[in-house]
Parts: sequence; structure tokens; C-alpha cells
Amino acid sequence: MLPWGTFFAIYHKAVLPLTNLKRKTTPMISRTYNPFETAQAQFDRIAGLLDLDKPTRDILRYPMREYHFSIPVRMDDGIVQIFRGFRVQHNSARGPGKGGIRFHPLETIDTVRALAMWMTWKCAVVDIPLGGSKGGVVCDPHNLSTREIEQLCRGWVRQISRDVGPTLDVPAPDVMTNPQDMLWMLDEFEVIHGGKFPGFITGKPLSIGGSHGRKEATGYGVVFTIREALKEINVKPENTTVSVQGFGNVAQYAIDLIQRIGSRVVCVSSWNQGEKKADSYRKSSGIRLDELQAITDAFGGIDKTKARELGYELLPGDAWLEQDVDILVPAALENQITKDNVSALSKRVKIIAEGANGPTTPDADPILNERGIFTIPDFLCNAGGVTCSYFEQVQSNMNYYWEKDEVLGKLDTKMTAAFHAVRDVARRRKLHMRDAAYLISVSRVAQACRDRGWV
Amino acid sequence: MKDISRIAAEESLAPFDRAFFDPLHRFKYIGSGSLGGKAQGLAFIQRILASAFPHDKFPFVEVSIPSLTVLRTDIFDSFLHRNRLNEVAYSDTSDDFIAYSFQKAELPAEILGDLRSLVEQVRSPLAIRSSSLLEDAVHEPFAGIYTTKMIPNNQPSPDERFRKLSDAIKLVYASTFFKAAKDYAQAAHQDFREEKMAVIIQEVVGQLFNGRYYPQLSGVARSFNFYSMGRSKPEDGVVSLALGLGKTIVDGDRVWTYSPAYPKVAPPFGSAEALLKETQTEFWAVNMGKPPAYDPIRETEYLVKGTLSDAELDETLRHSASTYDPISRKISIGTGTKGPRAITFAPLLDSNETPVNAVTRTLLSLCAHAMGSPVEIEFAMTFNPNRFGFLQVRPMVVSSEQVDVHADEMKEVQALLASEQALGNGLIETIRDIVYVKPSSFDAKFTRRIAAELENFNRTLANEGRPYLLIGFGRWGSSDPWLGIPVQWGQIGGANVMVEAVLPNMNVDLSQGSHFFHNLTSFQVKYFCVPYEGEYPIKWELLEQHQTVHETEFVRQVRLPFPLQVKVDGRSGRGVILMPSHG
Repeated sequence: MLPWGTFFAIYHKAVLPLTNLKRKTTPMISRTYNPFETAQAQFDRIAGLLDLDKPTRDILRYPMREYHFSIPVRMDDGIVQIFRGFRVQHNSARGPGKGGIRFHPLETIDTVRALAMWMTWKCAVVDIPLGGSKGGVVCDPHNLSTREIEQLCRGWVRQISRDVGPTLDVPAPDVMTNPQDMLWMLDEFEVIHGGKFPGFITGKPLSIGGSHGRKEATGYGVVFTIREALKEINVKPENTTVSVQGFGNVAQYAIDLIQRIGSRVVCVSSWNQGEKKADSYRKSSGIRLDELQAITDAFGGIDKTKARELGYELLPGDAWLEQDVDILVPAALENQITKDNVSALSKRVKIIAEGANGPTTPDADPILNERGIFTIPDFLCNAGGVTCSYFEQVQSNMNYYWEKDEVLGKLDTKMTAAFHAVRDVARRRKLHMRDAAYLISVSRVAQACRDRGWV
Repeated sequence: MKDISRIAAEESLAPFDRAFFDPLHRFKYIGSGSLGGKAQGLAFIQRILASAFPHDKFPFVEVSIPSLTVLRTDIFDSFLHRNRLNEVAYSDTSDDFIAYSFQKAELPAEILGDLRSLVEQVRSPLAIRSSSLLEDAVHEPFAGIYTTKMIPNNQPSPDERFRKLSDAIKLVYASTFFKAAKDYAQAAHQDFREEKMAVIIQEVVGQLFNGRYYPQLSGVARSFNFYSMGRSKPEDGVVSLALGLGKTIVDGDRVWTYSPAYPKVAPPFGSAEALLKETQTEFWAVNMGKPPAYDPIRETEYLVKGTLSDAELDETLRHSASTYDPISRKISIGTGTKGPRAITFAPLLDSNETPVNAVTRTLLSLCAHAMGSPVEIEFAMTFNPNRFGFLQVRPMVVSSEQVDVHADEMKEVQALLASEQALGNGLIETIRDIVYVKPSSFDAKFTRRIAAELENFNRTLANEGRPYLLIGFGRWGSSDPWLGIPVQWGQIGGANVMVEAVLPNMNVDLSQGSHFFHNLTSFQVKYFCVPYEGEYPIKWELLEQHQTVHETEFVRQVRLPFPLQVKVDGRSGRGVILMPSHG
């Protein structure tokens, strides 16, 4: 067997920019920030806290399997183009792998590795019987026709179909992939395997094997954790105000539910595609979700002029973070709360609910902790999505589908139980929520590896 | 209820923290709106039980309110609003269509996790009860108008239990808009659109016997008795007991009724055979066995009727039954000998082995004192261990107006009718319309058709704002069409005075269902029981002299030129209705 270092050296070579990507795709660009190294560093710290033995550390520090493959697609102009695809299966000790497929021009294998590892921890923290995976294709869907995207989806499945499936590894939509893409992939998988396997993939449209509640799941899950956090700090929702970054799917459903439980959302930010910058919209009396939705485009961009007419105050993009509110919900991008801007947070902020992945940089974390802000870590806070994906897979495997209230009821109890499990560990071991969440996840996965006799 | 009691009620509540059976807090809530009348009454009594009930006097009986969680009215508002149910709810469409539309709707997402966690920890039957804003309010009691659904909640899968619970909640919500409720609101001159519904999810007091879950005793007790007889005084109150779920009493079926001051005195049945015939022969239980046909919009979907033979098999007659001896033609206490059983509760009431009567009297007195008015309470009990579950309390309305009815008046020529068994108190001089079931065409087999005809008369008169006198045969509101006219309150709710003419072959025992009775008292409707061939018979000929306003196959309406004079003396139970002297 190759030593790990040599193994990865080969991988890195395999993902070098491909020379034949001439026209519509952008070659992968190497970046200085390596998310996989960050993920490993996080793991190392927790492994230290848990005092894991070397074999356990070794098996969890790296993906168990990686697949790198080429996907030939005949483009609309008749020329065949080769795309680079990946699937990384970080760990499957607790169950079949679960993770999205990203179509992104800047995709790197290290990003995919890191995300696969984080999926392992995310599934474990909400205690669903799934492992962590992630996949991707280096491409820019904006430059592809619908037919070309379909061919890319089908091609991805053709390359990996023996190593994924309802009992092995279950993909889902992710960055720049959507329910239609999932259906093409499912169809291809079923053609290859000669049967119907709706549990192969999640994020399907509701009409063909999707789950009720999927679109609400992540945003609602964020609010379930906020609600529990408020109980922890003994604050009533009706006495709180909220500022949200982003106005996409997660943010909109989070706003919907948090208003229903009594909080007042006073500020949201959204991406202005035309001006390529974000804007914040403030209304002290509380934003009205329905009126903002009515002036929002499909990508979550709010119409500036109409918002002004409706009485919203237009502020710079990062103003959402500086509002005098009790709860901040970053639900858009990573690296938003940093060492440099953390001082701009109001003294009133009591809770940060990380609806997005990685919105707080590691160097800002200790400052938030020092200020006594209760941070709900991303992989717990936004785990509603994967939890509902799990529900979809279960329903698809049974070919029996639940009503929406059943899905959302289960989601709530699952998220609430996960929150309290993390909170208990945090309290018992005097840790902050992020470390406590990692501690639970890693120990659960490590235990599964031990139980199986792998280590 | 007074404001102070509302505040006290709130203080005894805790927000639902996903622990249903919590010895420290039996009473929890979800949401932020009103608790509704019923839950508010219970919350208030919860405090009274904790602070004033002499638990040490009854060391072998646990007296408590069964664990419950209330979905407050804001959840009802959200449910209607988010599912856009207002249009169908306020339409004239059928109850079934409304119920079906509500079943298809989604409960608010913010309570689903709480409901889910509730069914994950509870695997015994639950009662899903209405608690509306108007329900059990002092003056306009919507008691018994809305649906209560019992669910077995014993399915192995929590998914199944969750579905049944949410189906039941939606049915209770839908019942806010059923026809009976709309009619009732009209009769009560209430703005129906102001009504809101809270829902109580409560453990059912009972035990499991051969696939049936039920209490060995359920009861309704009133601290003031308009039907006091013999030595008992109105202030002594009255208690009705039944085997099984309280539905038997609430529906007005055959039960054991006695004065708590004289618990050993049996009602005047006349003979042991009559007692055997007129006491309870069937009881209600929650069906824990084979699942019934799926019918989420039927209130009794999970209820099952048992016979006394079933109860014998369940060995639940020990505290309730006596036995008839056909040779001596006597009833003996207990089930020691073979023979037909009669549900008399003699083992409890005669022997005082378990102080049910003493507990009931204490509670009546405490509640009446705390509420500052006579009260009606509902309870259920199981034995070994002895548990007295307090289910409901509501104030009764007793008029303090003094009216004297003399014997001479009752025999006056102008007296349309008179009774020694009149219910209510006071004088009415506003009624000119009389709706009566024609004695010539009455037959017990047509009582359902008569009920339907009466509904139309009632609607017309209510729309015109005319109070009226209603005369019919048998018990009003009887669930048994052979014992009276099986109307619901809303079908005759516009009547200010009701008369039941008792035919020789009908039971003379005035034992309306609890809700019917409560409506009578709260609306201050005067109720006359007139034996068909008694001392003061109805003078039908006085009615026939007047012009008919409207007539159907079984019912006739006349209008007098001047109002009737209706007098009831609540202390003596005497009443008389005098025709206007001018006419």
C-alpha cells in the first residue's frame, strides 16, 4: 500500500488543470487556502480532546475512498469536451455516504475532500445513520446548455455508478446543481442498473420521489436550533430582534419561522446581481417576508427601488452584521464574520446561528466566545437540510411518502435532540458549542469504526 | 370567570418542554394566545387543588387533573390563516366537507416537533378536547357543541400516533365551524367570527381491559339541583355516575343520579324491575383493539360500546354493580351472586369503602366557593390504585330573582300548563310565539323528522328575533329517539321556554345530557316537565283557538296578540304558563 503522502501526491497530479478544456469550462485554479487542511486541523484538535488512538485518527483524517474520472460530453457544436469529475467518500462507518454534487469552475479535490469530511460530522451530529461524501465536476453551468448539462449529469453517473447507490453513497444537489439534474442522474442510474432505485439520490422534485418539507428544512432547522438556544439563555423569542445575511432559500424559510415564533426580523441582506454587490435592507418595525418575496428574483436578489418604496432603508451589504439585534443569522456565504469585523457586532448580540457553511472564520471564533455570544455551529445549525435528505431517502427506499407535517415534526425533534445533545456535552465538558458538536460527531464516527472492527 | 381567577389560572401553567408526564407540571401549553374557557377553568382549579384541597383527608385517593397540554388559540389562528381556510369555514357547506378540508390542511410547523415529541413519549389514550373562547364562559356556554376526540395512541409506530393526533386536532378545529356551532352562536346572539379554538391534549383516565380502555366510574356533579326531590335541597347539588367514559352522561343516556347529601337514596324507580330497566346497560370505552375503519372526521372513530357482560368479563363491576334476584325480586348490593346486573354504584355509595361521594362533595364546595357561583364538574375514576381525575369545571347560572308560584295559579283557567317539576327561576313576559308538536300526529317513531321540522321553525324565529315557547313530547335533546326528540341545542336554541310533555310510556326521569342541561341553565331557559295525564295537563284547546302562523306535518306555530306570562319558582320547582288575559 502506498503511504498517505505518496497517495495524495498522485491525487494532486490527477487534478491538475486539464489542457483540453478549451471552450466553455474554466480550468481548476489552485488556491492558497486549502480547506482540507483546515478540516484536518479541526479534526486533529478534536482527536486530541478525545485522545483518539493513531489508527482511528488515520482513518478519519483522510477520505476512505476517492474517485477521479473524466466525463466526455459531446457539446452542442458537435465537439466532444472532457470534464473532470470527483466523488470523495470520507467515511461510511455509520451508513451509506451522503453528500452533494457541486458544479463549479473552481472546484478542487481538496475542497471536495474537506466537504466530504464535514458531511461525516454533520450526519453524525444529528445522529442520522449516514456517512459523509461529496462530489463535484469542474464546470460552469452558466456556460452550458440544458442538453449539455443533462449529458454531464448522465456522464457523471456513468463513471461512478458502480460505487454509488442507495446502500453505498447517496448524492444530492449542491452548488449549481438542482432537482432536475438529480432526476437525470437517477434516470441514468436506473438505466444502468435495470430497476427503479429512487433512494439512489435525494433532492428530487416533489412529483418524482422528493420529500415534502425539503425546501423548508434547512431554514426551519436553523430556527429550531435558535429556539432552543433562546431557552438556554432564558430569553423569550418575542423579546428578540434578528438580522439575516442572505435572502435565498435558507434565509427566507428561516425568516418565515422565526417570525412565527415571535421574533422580529429587522434587517436582511441580499446579493445584487446587476451591481455585483450585496445590499442590506432595514425596517425597524420588522420586515414583511411576503412583500420582500414579491420583489425578489429567482436568485434571491431584492429589487432595490421597490424595497425603498415599501419603506425599507437601504444600507451597505455588510450592514446586516452591525445591527443592534439579539440574533444574527449568516445564511449566505462563508468567511463573513472575521477577526477584522467582529468588533462591529452590536453588544446586544446574544446568538449567532450559522445558517451558511463556515460563515465565521476560526480567528473570529474565540472573540465571539470571549464576548459570551452563543454560537450555533454551522454543521449543527444548518443540518436540517441533510436530515430531510435522509428522510427523503428513507421514503424513497420504502416508496412510501409522508405528509409534510410528519416530515417537519420529525425534523424538529431530530434537530432539537441534536441541539440538546451538543449542549449537554458543552456544559459537562465546559466547551463552546462548536467544539462540543465536533466532539460528539467525531466520537460517534470513531465509535462506529471501532464497533465494526476497523480500528 | 373573574379576572383574578384568569390570572391565577395562568400562574399554574408551564410552557410545554417536551415532557408530557411531568409530576411537577401537569399542565402545560404551546403557543401564546388564549387558553380557551375549558382549559382556563382547569388551570384555575389546578391551583385550588394544590392549595385548598384537603388531600390528607383522603389518603387513599389521588385527586388530580390528568396531565394535559393546551394548544393555545394563536395556533388555531395560524392554522386557518396559512391554509386559507376562512372561506370554507364560514361558508354554508356541509360539516363533512369542512372537516375534510381541515384534514387536508397542514398544522403550523412550529408545533409539529412538540406534537411529535409528545406521541414519542406517550403510548396511552389521549383525549383531544375543544377549549374555545366562548366555551364554558359564564353566560353563553358552548359546552358540548364542539368535538372531543379520543384516540387510542397505542400504535407501535410513533408516525402513526402522530398522524392520529394531528387528524384529531384538525377535527376539533373543524368542529368550530360545524352547523351545530353556527346555529348555536346565532341562538346565543354571539358573533361567530370572534370564536377561537384552543385544544386540550389530555391523558384519558382509565385502565385497559380486554382491548377496551375506560374508567370504572365517570361522573358529572352540580352544586345546585333544580330537580331536587324528597329530603334533598337544591343547594345539596346532584351527581350522575356512569360506568365507562363520561360520554354516557354527557349524551344524556341512562345513568345513576343521586343527591350527594343522601348518597344511599336511590332514585324513585318504583320497582326493582324498573330500576333494572332504567339503569345503565352499555358503556363507552376507547377501542384499543383491532383498528376501526379509517374515518378521521368521525368523533367516535375510536370509541366502542361495551355491554355489562363485557364489563363482567373485564371485572370492572366490583364498584358499580348490584344484582337482581328474580326470585325475591330485589336488588342486592354487589356482584356476589349470579343474576342480571344493575349499575347503581351501591358498593361505593352505600359502603363508603372508597370516599367517592365525600371527594365529590368537597370538590363541589371548593369549586363553588372559588368561582363564586354554583358549578358543574366532570370527573373520572379508576381503582387500585384509586385515582380521581378532575376533568372539567364550569360555572352554573342560578337566578336570584324571587318568584312565587301559588297552587291556585297553577289551576287557573288561563293556565296553559303548570308543573311541579319546572327548571329555572324567574318571570318572562316577552313571548308571543308558541311552537308545538301536534299531539294528534305525534309518534315516537317520527322524532327524527320532527327534529328536522323544528329546526326550520327555530331558524325563522331566531332570524326574526322572536323568543318562543316550545312544547314537545319526551325528553328534549335525548340521544335515544324513542325517549324524546333528538334535537341538538342549536336546533331549538331560540326557545326561551321548553316544555316536555311526558307520555305514559316514556321515562319521567328528567335526565338531560350534561351539556343540554348546562345550556338550559346558562341561557336561563325555563324548562317544564308536564306529565301527559297529570294534575296540570296541557290545555291544547287554548292553543288551537289561535291563528296558525305556520304548520307542517308534525309541528304548528301560533302567535298570540299579547305575551304569555311564564313564572318559575326555582326554590320550589313550581312553574306556570298563563295565557294573556287580554286575549
